[in-house]
Amino acid sequence: MSRKPEDIVSAAVVKHGSGREAVMGILTDVNRELGYIPEEAIKAAAKAVDVSNAEIYSVLSFYSFFSTEPRGRNIVRLCNTISCEMNGSSDILDAIEKELDIKTGETTADGRITLETTSCIGLCDESPAMLINDTPHTRLTPEEACKILAGLE
Amino acid sequence: MSEKRILTAAEQPEAGAALKKSLEMTKADVVFEVRESNMRGRGGAGFPTGVKWNLAGAASGANKMVICNADEGEPGTFKDKLLLEKYASKLLEGMTIGGYAIGSSQGIIYLRAEYPYLVPGIMKVREELISKNFLGEGILGTDFSFDVEIRMGAGAYVCGEETSLIESLEGKRGEPRNKPPFPVNSGYLSRPTIVNNVETFVSVPYIILNGSEWYQDLGIGSCTGTKLFSISGDVENPGVYEFQMGSTIGELLEVAGVKDVQAVQVGGASGTTISAGELDRKLSFEDLPPGGSVIVFNSSRNMMDVLENFLEFFVHESCGQCAPCREGNVRLLDTARAIRGGKITSREELKPFFMLAEVMKLGSKCGLGQTSPNCFVDIITKFIDFPDGKGGM
Repeated sequence: MSRKPEDIVSAAVVKHGSGREAVMGILTDVNRELGYIPEEAIKAAAKAVDVSNAEIYSVLSFYSFFSTEPRGRNIVRLCNTISCEMNGSSDILDAIEKELDIKTGETTADGRITLETTSCIGLCDESPAMLINDTPHTRLTPEEACKILAGLE
Repeated sequence: MSEKRILTAAEQPEAGAALKKSLEMTKADVVFEVRESNMRGRGGAGFPTGVKWNLAGAASGANKMVICNADEGEPGTFKDKLLLEKYASKLLEGMTIGGYAIGSSQGIIYLRAEYPYLVPGIMKVREELISKNFLGEGILGTDFSFDVEIRMGAGAYVCGEETSLIESLEGKRGEPRNKPPFPVNSGYLSRPTIVNNVETFVSVPYIILNGSEWYQDLGIGSCTGTKLFSISGDVENPGVYEFQMGSTIGELLEVAGVKDVQAVQVGGASGTTISAGELDRKLSFEDLPPGGSVIVFNSSRNMMDVLENFLEFFVHESCGQCAPCREGNVRLLDTARAIRGGKITSREELKPFFMLAEVMKLGSKCGLGQTSPNCFVDIITKFIDFPDGKGGM
């Protein structure tokens, strides 16, 4: 049972404070726990640091890790920058899209996985690579990537 | 010049030794030593670290800040990840010495969102240093206190630019600021602030322990010390290598095991693309600005694929604040696709786009737009043949 967005913001304010500089920490905590930042959280964060809702929305829309749309329980970020690309990341993307029957940016119907591509994640020497939530997976093949995804709850 | 392991040596100086020595020196002497070493920032821009510290130390204003830029996002770069994973003790020691030198008690590591798995390790090292009194209140029996916290980014390449990074830390969109004022006078929350790269801070303890002359002798001319390089692409042994400044790109590739070279991207997507004929060029701020990324392309690679990949990256990562960068990168990507699609078939037709590249270099507000046209100019000029000759103006 996940916490309500307002409660996550309240807990984040205890941790990060209620100054403007706490905004990134608050948004990160909500985004991590819920997978996205719902409107209730935007309003609660705006109230907590005493700025307008629009100001919070402006900040969160800038960063690619933040989302205002609900996402899956697992977020897969496959690197598409050059070193991973040269070692076959687009083949892996094709395989994953086929396996999950979704396109990049979409979430599986059962809410299990959201698939995204990302700029360089600093795993170029072990490419191709992806992050699943906080965990790196490296030296992938299409088969192995699909096997890892099959094991996700 | 050759491979030389200092920061990544198997035998490391004892933790806290450089800090202890620093605290026995005056603040001015610590700044002087770093300045005399001629170390230039390891993040890519190459601003002299000691000069930055001197300005921040002399700046008026309370609650000065020490910020570590761990927003390593340049394509092909992973050397700071290695340092954060294995040498966090030296990083925190370098930041603490920086704090002592400029008169700051507060440090922040701005860590990119893609590296959350590094946080527990860094925090564990922090705890160990606190338990040894190398960090925290009244360090080593002095009245100097210093502590470091980690703050996470949220996925924005431009936040590697120091004023964008500061904006992000302040809870705002990561858009670059106008300069001046520079962060050394007015940075985080308008406080005097130094922002240095991970590798820069990690280098500091060695400079303090061994002296600025020793550090100068490691490099060549005004490019001193050793430098870490992340090598990937068509290479036998990809990974992080430490070389003396002034080594040639050829020496680096030999050690990493490269047989077939068509091109090498030095300094990441925003860096320089060199051809196989340029391998004797030196890794230094005067010749090939080193950054941290070296990507090798063998003769089977289509350099237009590379160009398109880089420009897609810049289109995605431009913050959109200034027009030359926001519009320019989109136009350059369109142009690259037009060349591939056969819609642009001569050098003559390319002229306006080379002028656009110049406008972007001159007119963009921050390093992103000032450097993103490099790949377009380099790759078109050096690798693409047109009926009226190779590309370029």
